[in-house]
Amino acid sequence: MALLSPSDDLFDSILMADDRFHVEGYREGFEEGTRQGMIEGRNHGRLHGAKLSAEVSFYHGFALTWKYLLQNSEDVKARKRLKAVESLDGLIQKFPYEDPQYENLQEDMERVRAKFRQVCSLLNVAVDFREYVSGSAGMAF
Amino acid sequence: MSWVKALPSSDDVFDEDVDEISLHNKEWRCNMEKRAKDGYRDGMDAGKEASLQIGFNLGYREGAVQMKTIGQLKGIVSALQCWCRSQPSRISELSLITELLRRVDQHEQDLVEAMRKAQERPPPSVSEVAGDLEDLGVDRSGDREGSGCCGKDGDSDGCRKDGEMECCAQDKDQSRSSVRMCSSSFFQTSESLEQLLQSCVELVAEMGLPEELTFHIQQLRYA
Repeated sequence: MALLSPSDDLFDSILMADDRFHVEGYREGFEEGTRQGMIEGRNHGRLHGAKLSAEVSFYHGFALTWKYLLQNSEDVKARKRLKAVESLDGLIQKFPYEDPQYENLQEDMERVRAKFRQVCSLLNVAVDFREYVSGSAGMAF
Repeated sequence: MSWVKALPSSDDVFDEDVDEISLHNKEWRCNMEKRAKDGYRDGMDAGKEASLQIGFNLGYREGAVQMKTIGQLKGIVSALQCWCRSQPSRISELSLITELLRRVDQHEQDLVEAMRKAQERPPPSVSEVAGDLEDLGVDRSGDREGSGCCGKDGDSDGCRKDGEMECCAQDKDQSRSSVRMCSSSFFQTSESLEQLLQSCVELVAEMGLPEELTFHIQQLRYA
């Protein structure tokens, strides 16, 4: 191995200092960036989770209530309606909508919405819950 | 950045004109400050990138849990409203239901509005969130002794994965912190959820509707 000349040595230490300052700055920046990113992400995510959950929970309450209202009815029409309502309830129960990392979140959401529209038409209810039916939310940045 | 000032001062190898030395020192310090600032900016970007999605996922769960009960209650009262409209004998009860629905709707809007305000508010000071970051285990992951993986751009991916894993492993801590969030005065609304549930239970009983429905609404209190 060749010995380093003094000038090489000096050059090395300059480079090292250069690197050290960058790393020190990086460390401080990383800490602050993590802090800010966590807060921004959390606030943003909270709104998304709230919107989706409010919508699904609405359908859930709606379906359950109709189930209780229809289940003692005898006529044929009611039985058909009950079946649709129970199927909507079943879809929602299997849907882990509280998990932002669930891979079929969007697909399942669309399925639930479609089922809800079908239920509404069977019940002769006007779908004036447009605030829900139109929006679809992104799950990532 | 106090450490920038801790630079080696004029006891150099060069024993020449002092002015020249101080000039060199100035230039050196200026360069190093620039290096540190560049590093800070790079670190800031990497830190944000590493934490945004983790924060999003945490917030998403909190938001989803928080809207569950009020969302269901709104669905229940809406269904009652639709049902009453289709029953000629129930028309007189419609105004009671519509009034309850308005209150439930207001409560829901208040909750969302509080979240939106929180989003617009500037981030709190370091000390306030330090606890949260500790809970999540995402602070400076792997960044030790300057030779950690975060020192090099190519490895910043590895850092993020580390952070996520730690985050998932501490799910319990997350829910603890979310409870703390929800119980703070942050999300106060004009009327309590408890009152709304009670009003709904009373209405269902008054209308002589199935007991299962009453039971279900009562269960929502503990959801």
